[in-house]
Amino acid sequence: MTKAIAATSDYFTQIWQMRYFWLSLVIKDLRTRYRGSVIGMGWSLLHPIAMTAVFCLVYTTLFDVSLIEYAPFVLSGMTLWGFFMTVTHEASQTFLISQAYLRQNPAPLAIYPLRTTLCGSFHFLLAMLVLFVYTWVVQGFGNLTAFGYLLSSLVLLFVIGWSMACCCGILNVLFQDTQHLLQVFMQMMFYCSPVFYYPEMVEKRGMGWLVDINPFAACMELIRAPVLRSEAPEIQSVLFAGGFALVLLCTATCLLARYQRRLIFHL
Amino acid sequence: MAQITFEDLSLSFRVRKGGKIGWKDFIVQGLRGKGQDDDWLTVNPLRNINLSITRGERVGILGNNGAGKSTMLKVLAGIYPPTVGKRTIEGTISSLFDLSLGFEYDATGWENIRYRGFLQGETPKSIEAKIDDIAEFTELGEFLDMPLRYYSAGMVVRLGFAIATSAMPEIFIVDEVLSAGDAAFQEKAKKRMNKMMDTASLVVLVSHDMSLLGEFCTRVLWMDKGRIKEDGPAKKVIAQYLEESRQQQAA
Repeated sequence: MTKAIAATSDYFTQIWQMRYFWLSLVIKDLRTRYRGSVIGMGWSLLHPIAMTAVFCLVYTTLFDVSLIEYAPFVLSGMTLWGFFMTVTHEASQTFLISQAYLRQNPAPLAIYPLRTTLCGSFHFLLAMLVLFVYTWVVQGFGNLTAFGYLLSSLVLLFVIGWSMACCCGILNVLFQDTQHLLQVFMQMMFYCSPVFYYPEMVEKRGMGWLVDINPFAACMELIRAPVLRSEAPEIQSVLFAGGFALVLLCTATCLLARYQRRLIFHL
Repeated sequence: MAQITFEDLSLSFRVRKGGKIGWKDFIVQGLRGKGQDDDWLTVNPLRNINLSITRGERVGILGNNGAGKSTMLKVLAGIYPPTVGKRTIEGTISSLFDLSLGFEYDATGWENIRYRGFLQGETPKSIEAKIDDIAEFTELGEFLDMPLRYYSAGMVVRLGFAIATSAMPEIFIVDEVLSAGDAAFQEKAKKRMNKMMDTASLVVLVSHDMSLLGEFCTRVLWMDKGRIKEDGPAKKVIAQYLEESRQQQAA
């Protein structure tokens, strides 16, 4: 046990020592994405905002809901979903695009999924800022009182994201069709998660279990409660998301421990 | 103190004959149970290597293609873990492998100096202190403002060599890349490596350039089919290798 703790702490020390390397790659990735685009950083906001506009156009009529409430609800869902897509679908390529470094230096593997997760986090936070400005204009600054809850939620989401990115990245090196399967899986989960519909809507129709057993739904509650309702997230969502984070973290740790030195043979 | 020791070191790994496996095949094979071993090939690029290199030695590695030279360097640098045996390294390592490794081809020369420097453990402060010297050594001038994708192989090797040696590592490992540089650069590289030897270094160099090995190295390892066939003074081993190559050609 003591040995495992020492090894983990040593691993994190190595990651920290390499911070200038992975941070410079994150900055490079962000710069590359925005280079040549007229609206610069706003480019990353285009997708969630455009999708929100489309959902608002169609579903405010179909669901008979108020646009003022529905718009931030969908935007928060799309923003978080964008983050999940980055740490699954995009992260599955993380070791393949970094193999020039993996073949040059025996650095900790976790820095490459960290690079993808940090890029995704940047885009996520940028969209969250838009969401905040909207809520401040429409509802006032009430949600600032719940800022502490939001911070804890963000930490938990980061752990989930980094762990997911490690798992997807390693599995995609081992099994070549992982990325494709992830895309299919995430698309299915998109419709099974309360991204653009309220959880109550499915509950009323006796499909509440769809949300209850869905960890992505719990993650959405972690963000929506403090930002949209200025309150602490429901305890069962926190516990569910926490458990989800723990399972992912353990899986990522096992995969990293097993493949830290051997992944190179699969590249 | 710089020191490399390999004790009964072997490396083997399995390669799937038909390329990478997908989830579908993996599940089908899992259900089928037996018969999967036919799909795999075990490769043994290094076998029973015993080696000790100490401070101040300049070691060259030669051998035919596929003899295990580059794999040996990768094990030295800690990229490949040994399957059996023990690898002990004392001292800081810096390496220069294949030119496609460790560079961002979309980024400029200046940016790559930083990325590669950070990968070697430099900090923004330490790299800023060295960046002008590195740039000067490369003699690339305004090309450093251009993305690497426009560089020739010789230009990339200048950049890679300048960065890899800027840290004045205790152990310096170079694969067959120096020959991509022009004669002037090769001369400059040799001078830089000689200077490194003054500060308690150890250099391991893989090359097919016998004159470079003969001039620079004090000791040469001849690798054949994953084993060390000969290990001795540079001139003697090179002569043996050339003699055998001549005999093979004649036959």
